[in-house]
Amino acid sequence: MPRPRTRASCAAAVAIALCATLTGCGGGASATADGKVTLRFTWWGNTDRAARTEKAVAAFERAHPGIDVQTSYSTYDSYKQKLATQAAGDDVPDLIQLDYRQISQYAGSGVMLDLAEQRKALPTGEMDPKLLKTGQVGGRQYALPMGVGTQTVAYDKAAWRAAGVIQPQAGWSWQDWVKALRQVKEHRGTYAMTDPGAAEDQFEIWLRGRGKQLYGKDGQVAFSAGDLARWWTFTSKLRKEGLVSPATDTTQMSGSVEDTPMGRKLSVAEFNWDAPSAGYEAMYGDRLAIAPTPTGEDGTFGQYYKPSMLLGISAGSEHPREAAQFIDFLLNSDKAADILGVDRGTPVNSRQRSRVLSSVTGFQKQVARLQTSLRGKLDPPPAAPPRGDNGLQSTFQRDYDQVSFEKLTPREAAENFLTEARAELRP
Amino acid sequence: MANTSTARATSAPASEAAPSGAQRAGGTGGRRPYGQGRPPVRERQGAAWVFLSPWVLGATVLTLLPMAVSLYLSFTDYNLFDPPSWVGLRNYTQMFTEDARLYRSVGNTLLYVFIAVPLQLALALAAALALKSMRRGRSFYRSAFYAPSLLGASMSIALVWRAIFNDGGTVDNLLSGVGVHIGGWVNQPGWALLSVALLTVWQFGAPMVIFLAGLQQIPQEMYEAAAVDGAGPWRKFASITLPMLSPVLFFNLVLQTIQAFQVFTPAFAISSGRGGPADSTLFYTLYLYERGFTSSHMGYASAMAWMLLLAIGIVTAVLFRTSKSWVFYANEEGG
Amino acid sequence: MSVTVLSSHHGRRRADRSHIALHIGALAVLAVLLYPLAWLVATSFKPADEVLASLALLPSRLATENYGTAAEGIEGVTLLQLFGNSLTISLGAVLGNVLSCSLAAYAFARLRFTMRGPLFAFMIATIMLPHHAVLIPQYIVFNQLGMVNTFWPMVLPKFLATDAFFVFLIVQFMRGLPRELDEAAKIDGCGPFRIFARVVLPLTRPALITTAIFTFIWTWNDFFTQLIYLFEPDKYTLTLALRTFVDTSSQSAYGPMFAMSVFALLPIVLFFLAFQRLLVEGMANSGLKG
Repeated sequence: MPRPRTRASCAAAVAIALCATLTGCGGGASATADGKVTLRFTWWGNTDRAARTEKAVAAFERAHPGIDVQTSYSTYDSYKQKLATQAAGDDVPDLIQLDYRQISQYAGSGVMLDLAEQRKALPTGEMDPKLLKTGQVGGRQYALPMGVGTQTVAYDKAAWRAAGVIQPQAGWSWQDWVKALRQVKEHRGTYAMTDPGAAEDQFEIWLRGRGKQLYGKDGQVAFSAGDLARWWTFTSKLRKEGLVSPATDTTQMSGSVEDTPMGRKLSVAEFNWDAPSAGYEAMYGDRLAIAPTPTGEDGTFGQYYKPSMLLGISAGSEHPREAAQFIDFLLNSDKAADILGVDRGTPVNSRQRSRVLSSVTGFQKQVARLQTSLRGKLDPPPAAPPRGDNGLQSTFQRDYDQVSFEKLTPREAAENFLTEARAELRP
Repeated sequence: MANTSTARATSAPASEAAPSGAQRAGGTGGRRPYGQGRPPVRERQGAAWVFLSPWVLGATVLTLLPMAVSLYLSFTDYNLFDPPSWVGLRNYTQMFTEDARLYRSVGNTLLYVFIAVPLQLALALAAALALKSMRRGRSFYRSAFYAPSLLGASMSIALVWRAIFNDGGTVDNLLSGVGVHIGGWVNQPGWALLSVALLTVWQFGAPMVIFLAGLQQIPQEMYEAAAVDGAGPWRKFASITLPMLSPVLFFNLVLQTIQAFQVFTPAFAISSGRGGPADSTLFYTLYLYERGFTSSHMGYASAMAWMLLLAIGIVTAVLFRTSKSWVFYANEEGG
Repeated sequence: MSVTVLSSHHGRRRADRSHIALHIGALAVLAVLLYPLAWLVATSFKPADEVLASLALLPSRLATENYGTAAEGIEGVTLLQLFGNSLTISLGAVLGNVLSCSLAAYAFARLRFTMRGPLFAFMIATIMLPHHAVLIPQYIVFNQLGMVNTFWPMVLPKFLATDAFFVFLIVQFMRGLPRELDEAAKIDGCGPFRIFARVVLPLTRPALITTAIFTFIWTWNDFFTQLIYLFEPDKYTLTLALRTFVDTSSQSAYGPMFAMSVFALLPIVLFFLAFQRLLVEGMANSGLKG
């Protein structure tokens, strides 16, 4: 019976071929084969950011022929899990992009390098010290902000104008905001804005407008259940009045601009960060406008410049100096600034900041105008959120789900949130 | 039923599905020629280990070792970044005494298992039987029935699901047309779980193909002999198809149940990883993932994993026990 | 079910009628089943502002630009390479599973060895532990072996029969085979290896083809393993690539993501169509009679 044998030898041949292919691919990471230093750089973002980043990396490699930068990117949710697994497996890449909410965890657990060790290769003199603080944990600089952005109200100019609402200006209050929503709702016949209750970011600006903070210096929660209950009662009132989106629409938000109620053309306004609001352009074109967020009763601005993402070096990196050179190139050089633009937010290096802002086009011009109009008015950003905070954003959203589906009262949900927050935080 | 092969198949004593050294099936055991031509036991053992060697290597290094590590982690506080610290049974006691969301997730999972598994298996079996009795277009229908399963629970299919089961989506429109006003399914706590279950049911291709393969194995002569005996379709189904198919039916039941207990991807995709709205699709593994990766409590997540293993193990053991009375093997070596 | 064997004329006419009913029923079921697929394909042709916003099946205009974007691949990696990577991993997994699972299954189904019962129970138990719990220990193992950022973590486990699902599947099929066949071969002087290769394996073909089909599809669609183990984009697979179009922290490109999903669907459709034919042949054409 020759048939099985032929098949078996076929399989063996394929297996050997496959081994060759797999091993061939596996050989890619040979770091020092040609005397070159290889840096691994991992980050999250969308396809546009990928194109810009690859271009900037290529420019760096041209300027530093001895360094080869291997990049890896995925989307934010995937990125978080991948990086955590790498950290657990002691396999963190040399250069890692971090969120404001991750930095305490990564720095606190010794994953990050203290950048003071590479001060020579990485000067920070041209960066705003207040913004630099956002990359510090326990007084040490572990990462540098790659860009900053601030909260805005993105809205459909045409829809608001049709309802007779005057363009919102910096300093408008929450009452002005509610009045505007009411006008738009009456004109449209349906809700005007996406319910902001589910997002911790919006709660934070409301809270800061009242002179409070999410976290205190001790790294513990600095607001009371009463504060949160008040916010949720406020948004629930708006929801019941039909000014903001109902629970069934709010619950579908995943974080991407496109599946928010405004992205799905159900509402005509939404809180969002300035640069990412560009995502609404696909649906609204030049009807898209942005305004500063409402302020507290005494005119206190709740919004602030927040690092959109930070960049640091892993403590285990074998080439910290080269990694520092790379960060220096990305954040301080004209060439990188021209390539990256405002994709990761407005540059933190003040020279690059004015260079980039003067050359932006389209919607980004609105962002530049908004940022200019707010100059000097905003309080400095808070310290990086404490360890254990990274899961709380989804806890917040989940607890508000219970409120908006009317399974819990604002007070009960607020108590729940605080109980969980206290258990999670590891300052 | 005079036909011998039919009689053999249906009357062969069921042995338990898990091969057990102690159990010895009767039936044809007596026909086996003992003694001559049979290699000594030690040599046969050697052959078995040769066949098993890849599995032994994989099971040890890639399964047993990681399992042992996760068992250890389940007794620790481990946040993925700092070394784990021993906390004894704390994770387990916390699960039972302090975690209301865990109970919620258990309830959701059980509900899902009871909806998705029977529906999916019934649909798969019906489709496989229909395909078998088709004279024309069998290949076309088989491919078309399988088509949904090609996709998996990918992000794009999740988005399609969200559109179809949304307010004003296809399902809402159809139901409103006949006077039933539910609104969206994916965005209402009372209906979201059902829409997730329907995604699983919709992808019934895998059990269907396994049923089909099982049907292929039933010797056609058995049906012919039964027809000579004047058996009708129902009789043939009950006395040939069902018993002959029972090992495969059992396989599908066990595996689909195990997989349903571990349901993750469809809910993860449809609810953007949160198990919403209002925790209504928060399944056990989704919660486990959230504890382990979103809030970095890998020790607790490991404890949850072992509780699930225990629970599924008990359910599976029960299924294996009951299988004695309804699963028939054409032949079973005991020994 | 086996209406075909009815032989009387009366029965034949009734069978015809029931066949027509069967086809009508099947077509109705099919319409429901294929509707979401139609939706998927239609969405891939929707312009950017309609992809998620519109609840209508058909796009207002045929936006082919989604396919243009998807065909370019992702930054630094061509579509062809993404296909190649997915294909290498999936075919490697198929080969591994068919080889290793059938070997292990034969031992469990047909051979005697000490601890067979407990080992079988252990194998079934390995299906029951949620894989998120062993993800990190496994990552550490592969990292120690220097296999992170290669295709090995996706392929090697398949060659070591770690997919207990398929071992169990093949075991169930082998146990359905009449033992007389083995006995006859044994009398002819065949050892276990020859019985396996010449008697049992050919008869298990439906199960092996099922294993091949499922392994291919599941590996092709798998996201989490590939996400964790593949670092550089030029090793990315289609599944990973299409996710890069959707970033939940900013704006996404859902249209191209749908277009790439359609691209990604083509190979599995082809693979399924190619192999499901073999599934039909079943016993009749298997090695035994041929």
